[in-house]
Amino acid sequence: MGKIIAVHSYKGGTGKTLLSINLASLYANRGKSVALLDLDFRAPSLHAIFKVHDSEYWLNDYLNGVCEIKKTLHDLSQTHTKKGRVFVGLANPSTEAIREMTAKDRKWEMKALGRLLSLKTSLLSDLGLDYVIFDTSPGLQYSSINAIVSSDVVLVVSGMDISDIRGTQRMIDELYELFEKKTGLIMNKVFADILSSRTQRADLAKKLMNSYNLPMIEMIPCFCDILKTGGVSIFANEYPEHPFIKTLDRVATNIENL
Amino acid sequence: MSLPRKVDPISTTLLQKIKESLDSLNEKLEVMIEIQKHGQRVNPENSIPNVLDVMTLLSLPDHLRKTAVTLCKLDQATADQVAEQTKRARAVESGYLNQLVLMGYVKKERRGRKAYFYVEREENQNPGEMKEPWEK
Repeated sequence: MGKIIAVHSYKGGTGKTLLSINLASLYANRGKSVALLDLDFRAPSLHAIFKVHDSEYWLNDYLNGVCEIKKTLHDLSQTHTKKGRVFVGLANPSTEAIREMTAKDRKWEMKALGRLLSLKTSLLSDLGLDYVIFDTSPGLQYSSINAIVSSDVVLVVSGMDISDIRGTQRMIDELYELFEKKTGLIMNKVFADILSSRTQRADLAKKLMNSYNLPMIEMIPCFCDILKTGGVSIFANEYPEHPFIKTLDRVATNIENL
Repeated sequence: MSLPRKVDPISTTLLQKIKESLDSLNEKLEVMIEIQKHGQRVNPENSIPNVLDVMTLLSLPDHLRKTAVTLCKLDQATADQVAEQTKRARAVESGYLNQLVLMGYVKKERRGRKAYFYVEREENQNPGEMKEPWEK
């Protein structure tokens, strides 16, 4: 059976969406079937990146019990991969929908958890997908914790600033461990100078792994040219030889070993 | 000389009823032992928030959280099915599940000789027919 991967972080702006999209594309380019779901209902973004501006059904509708998950999936295989299949499920970006999602009560959140948990059957078993990637909202809130509980693997993305490192440590101890999740760490936007030599990389990795007590999946340097694209292109497809994509390719393989 | 092997149907029914009563008694005892062990007095009449959402899951003690998360994943299950997933003894899981029932987070329903546990997510939901609104 396939895997559900939740990409999460303590703070916003760590690069979860960029990593999620390119990871989905890399798996598809390996001939896999992947669904990428935008579970950041407070700040939806996949609709803009994949240029899908209208949807008959959103993931909000699935969680509200209005439709089945298949109705929310957009098949972008023809335009986004040459080998496998890519489906995208979008969060409704309208202000009204965002407001509605932030006002849900505990009973609704409990039902939403049940629906996210059932994706293992509907997407992995019934549709036969190899990977489902949850792009989550940052921090400790209902939608992201629901996503973490429903996933098989959590990729926690952290930057190098102290507030992010402390917050991530707390999340590892008080969230991922309590739910006994397989978790891997990705340090993103690491200052390139401190990764310049093999010894420096090894020292930093050791220090961070001791501090987080988690396996280090990868330390990704900060690439200014990615920022220059303004998020309008999918790097894995347009620049497959870019060092960022080469690094992510190792991430895709390492997830298998978690 | 051998004794006749034929069993009286009335005796069979009676034995069956005795076995079911013993099973039920056993489950109640397991719950009492569990409650005593963890020093918790639970009363379904109390206004304990009975929503098994992720925040509740986080607040549960580790041993109950594992059972509750497993039940959430299975949707509905017997103590045997939960034990198979958690790799703990059936009697242990039965105790934990019954404790969650008493805390108001989980419902229990007998179907034949088996007790099924489930998280009630829809109003008046029949666990035998757990379906999403879009399913016919």
